[in-house]
This record gives sequence, structure tokens and C-alpha cells, in this order.
Amino acid sequence: MKLAGNDILIQSLINEGVEYIFGYPGGAALHIYDSIFKQKEMQHILVRHEQGATHAADGYARATGKPGVVMVTSGPGATNAITGIATAFMDSIPMIVISGQVQSHLIGTDAFQETDMIGISRPIVKHSFTVDHQSNIAQIVKEAFHIATSGRQGPVVIDIPKDLTNPDDLFDYEYPKEVNIRSYNPPLDPELSQIERVVEAILNANQPVIYAGGGTISSNASKELIELNSYINFPVTNTLMGLGVYPATDDKFLGMLGMHGTFQANMAMHNADLILAIGARFDDRITNTPDKFAPNAQIVHFDVDHSSVSKIIEADIAVFGQVKNSLQAINSLIKERLNDIDNSKIQKWHSQIAEWKNNHGLNHDLYKDKSDSKPILPQAVVQHIYHASKGNAFVTSDVGQHQMFAAQYYHFDEPRKWINSGGLGTMGFGLPSAMGVKLAYPDEEVVCITGEGSIQMCIQELSTCSQYKLPIKIFNINNLSLGMVKQWQDMNYDGRHSSISYEDSLPDFKSLVESYGHIGIKITKNSELRDGIEKAFSIKDKLVFVDVYVDPNEHVYPMLVAPNGSLKDMWLSKGNKT
Amino acid sequence: MIERQLTLIMENKPGALARVVGLFHQRGYNIDSLHVDPIDDFTQYKFIEDELSIKFSKGEVSRLIIKTTVGDALMRQILRQINKLIEVIAVSDNESTYLKGILRDENLL
Repeated sequence: MKLAGNDILIQSLINEGVEYIFGYPGGAALHIYDSIFKQKEMQHILVRHEQGATHAADGYARATGKPGVVMVTSGPGATNAITGIATAFMDSIPMIVISGQVQSHLIGTDAFQETDMIGISRPIVKHSFTVDHQSNIAQIVKEAFHIATSGRQGPVVIDIPKDLTNPDDLFDYEYPKEVNIRSYNPPLDPELSQIERVVEAILNANQPVIYAGGGTISSNASKELIELNSYINFPVTNTLMGLGVYPATDDKFLGMLGMHGTFQANMAMHNADLILAIGARFDDRITNTPDKFAPNAQIVHFDVDHSSVSKIIEADIAVFGQVKNSLQAINSLIKERLNDIDNSKIQKWHSQIAEWKNNHGLNHDLYKDKSDSKPILPQAVVQHIYHASKGNAFVTSDVGQHQMFAAQYYHFDEPRKWINSGGLGTMGFGLPSAMGVKLAYPDEEVVCITGEGSIQMCIQELSTCSQYKLPIKIFNINNLSLGMVKQWQDMNYDGRHSSISYEDSLPDFKSLVESYGHIGIKITKNSELRDGIEKAFSIKDKLVFVDVYVDPNEHVYPMLVAPNGSLKDMWLSKGNKT
Repeated sequence: MIERQLTLIMENKPGALARVVGLFHQRGYNIDSLHVDPIDDFTQYKFIEDELSIKFSKGEVSRLIIKTTVGDALMRQILRQINKLIEVIAVSDNESTYLKGILRDENLL
């Protein structure tokens, strides 16, 4: 079959099984868009800003496990995509970004809408390709998908000059069946000798913790993790990126750990004698001061990426491989050793953790207080959302206090249900990522928990939601200020609130969303909260935006004491620390 | 902190060198010196061809020699980060080598 470059590119995406392309056309991408127009297998979602395209593709990828695909034009189209690519890179999300480029003979001449996309994106991609000839397009697409979805996943950029998509030049097309990159070989199966050492460590532990992160979700290893813990009954904590990989309603779950982790999770980590770190990378939001991290713990680190292991915290036992394969290997060994598991050995540890939880655990019943004498608590909003959605919704979030409250108070029982920008912390992520999730799962409830700061960073996508009729439920936790920045200013800058307020210039969100054809609900009193949230969920065919005015002075607790603190050093409420 | 030498065998493709140099800057490592040339004589690297069941052609791969002054832990981290670059076939320091992602406890290059 002979095809032109533009058709080769689009046909290759179809051959990869792509359902949606999130993008925005422009000069250098016009030939490609003509090919998109001529086919029926994939749907192109026209966003309102390229950042929205990348986050939507990212949300789609996180929810489905399949790579998200983005199409942008050269110059500003490409640069607008950068924040979304960096977001996906930091959280190891598979994504393919195809950027148009000026014609080959104009490259390097400062042509109209020319930018060095490969150069600009280099530090935030897993890999990138410049297309140099039409006959290489299919091979490059095949390799790009392979790289994005294997090993430690990540975004891959394909930059393609306009002349190489010219519809008049025809070339042989056949999509490659296999791919073998001679210089790329991500680890898959662990070394058995390491697995044997891990099993011994498990059997000998008195104060163990499982610390599971986003890599466990990427590797689709939730089932294996739950199976492992059905044998060994260890307490389990999840990172912000790992929430849902172990059921939050299980009695061995400690909640999230780290900067705003639960008291019991952070105390368990600090006092542990064995930490099983599974697909987690000891981020600075987890360790607090690395030198003071878990002083008595033997560290077992499972990761597919060699460079993550012993980067921050030295591992005593390193297990390289896909987390799923490594856990399967452990499970099959543990099953032969069931008689050697002495659950009574860790009973005292479980009691200690229960005591911590009892003393300083989160209060999950704040929503029961309906008195109008006090302002609405943001925590209570999340609790109502949790109950009204029966704990089954996909929840995306933006970045800030509302994100932490959502992570603390919405109990995720399944992986891929909690969609947030953990590593980069990208405000503006919530709404577009919810669009990607809703397209992937049109029959599921998709909730975006956001704040009046974050939502305004990609609010233009409300228009995309009307065009494609995406009935997302958006809850705007409105505290009239940049809450997390304000909290830090309260705690570290004697309450000097520098540049965090815009109270007099906020839009009336209800009218704003109604102008896009959506439904707006405004809630200002506790007594309206439950009914307002339930009403939002009762509307199935429309996007509903619920603007909830909450206590502007609320802080997120617990919060790790920094600098120089360990995981046992936490602020538990205003002015009160451990 | 001592001066160490890294040797890389990598695909001679446009932008490949920029990935290595960019990585040093991005991760906060310093390059003391850098030498790069295409490999014409593969005798020394026949074991790579055998191991990976491939055949190098002239002009297809380059050798990079980078000198940097760092401590042990950082050296290990640099080696691992370079190994992650998709176009790197092999990378070694004085004590170890990653050959297509697999770690060996000796300098093979």
C-alpha cells in the first residue's frame, strides 16, 4: 500500500489502537489534520488550549493504562504542551505527543512558528524522535508507543516537519508487527536470589510496613499486592500517587503517608524495622529529612528503574523488575512458606498502630455537623462527595489544599480511580484530565475536586466539555485565596499573605458555567451542603459545577515539620505539634 | 571526590549527544572534559555485538569519554541515569558496566 506521510502517521496511530487524539490544529499540522478528517476510526477532541490536550490525554492514560495521544502544531502549539508533558513525565504516565514542525528546509531559520521542540522538551520526555523521512514514520510511531508503555513509562515526543506530511508524495506503508530497539531493554523479571532475601526479611520482621506508590499502579500490580498481604497481613500505606492500589477501606490500610500523611502512617514508617517500598521513589514529600528517615528500618525497594533505587534512601535489598512480576515471584515463594508465617509476631505492632490512629487519626465524621453557626469545612465537602458517589467515582484533582483533603478523605478502593498531578504539582490539571477520564469511561461517575485558583488555570476547557457533552461533576472548594500558599505564609511568614488573594475579582462561577450551557450550583451554608452535592450527582446528562464557599482559614493537617524534621515530627493542628 | 572517567557506546543519531550533555546539566552534575568520536574499528567491542546478536556498521555508533569529579554515590546515580537514555548501548565507570540495561560488576569498555 502506498500512502503519503500524513496518512502514514494517522494510519499508524489507528494500527496502534488509538481511540482518541487530543489536540489543536495549526499551520505545520494541517496536512495531518486533513488525514484525521478523512478517517473514522479515531475521534479527535478539539481542546481550547494545548495544555488541556496534554492533561486530557494524561487523564485518559491514568484511568485506562493505555497511552494518551496528543497532536499539536509547531511553535506555540508545542510550547503550550510543555507543562502537560512535564506533568506526565514526573508521574511516569505513557503519552505520545506529535508536534508539527516547520518545513525541513526552514528549520534553523527562525521561520514563522518555529521552535526547537526536541530541545525544549528534552529534559521532560522519556525519549523523542525527529522524523527525517516519510518511510521511517511507521517505525518511529511503533518505537514511540513501545518506549512510552514499557519499563518505567513516560511521554514520548514525535516532531514531524510539514513537508514530510505532504499529501502528494507517496511511500510504501506497512505497519511493523514487532519492535526491537537494540539499545533499550527495560527489566522485567526479578532475580530469584533477591526475592528469596525479601521473603526471609518478611518472615523475620516485627514492625513491618508496605509503602506502595504509583509504580504499583503503572505495573497493574494491585491484585498481586492484595494477594501478598492476604498472606503476610502487614500494615499498608500508599503515596499520593499510589492511592487506590490497596483498598482504603481495608483495616490494614493506614492512609496516605508523607507531608500531609496520616499520623499513623508516618509514625509506622518512622518506627518500622522493615519497609517494603513498592513502585515508590522516596520523594522529598515522603522522606522529610532523608538522614532522619526510618532510622531502624531495613529497606527493600522494588522498582523497574535502576536510577530510582538508592537515589535518596539507600536500599538494603533492591529488586529490579516490573513490580507485577516481582510480586508474583514473592507470592509464589511465600505460598510455600505459609507455615513459617507467624502473625502473632506483628500483633503488638498492629496494636501500636491502632493506638496512634486512635489518638491522632483523621476524623472522617466531620460531614455530620450541619450547623450553620460555623463555615463549611473543606474536609466535610470531600466526605459528602465520597458518600454521595458511594466511593465509586473517578476523582481528578488540581493542586493545593483541596487536593490534600481529597487524598485524605476520599477512600479509594481501586487503582486508577484517583487522578492527580503528584510529582509536578500542576494547577489546571483537574478539569482537562477529567475530560480524558470521562471519554474513556462515559458510563462512570467522574468527579473533579478543584479550587477557585486551580480551576481558572484551565477553565477554558468548560467549552470543550459542552462541545463533546461530557457530564463531569466539578466541585470547586472555594476559599477565596490560594489556600496552600496561604497556609505556608501563616506558618512560616507570620501570616504575611503575599499575593494570594483575588476575592473581589473572582467570577460568579455559577453564571460563568451557565454561559457555557452547564449547570451551576452555589453553596454557602452547611445546611445546604448535602442536598446540593446530592443534587449534582442526580443530574446525569449535564456537567454540574458546584461552587462551595468554605472556611478560608482552614489548614491541612497533619503536616510534616520542616526543615530538619523526621517523619515523626508533625503539626497536628494549628500551633500543636508532636 | 575524585576524577572519574565514564565511557559510553551509543547510537550515532542526531540529538543523542545533546541528551547526554543535557542530562549532566539537568541533574546538577559537572563535566570536566568530553571527547566523542565515531567508532570505525569494532574489534574492541566485538563482545557487545556477540552479546546483543547485532552487527555494528561503520558510522553507526559513537564512543563518548566523559570525565567528571564526584563522590561514589553520585557516580552510581550518574551511571544509572545515563543507562536510562534510550540510545545508550553501554556505559561504564571504573568498576561496573551497564550493557543494554544489564549491570555487570566490571569495566568492560
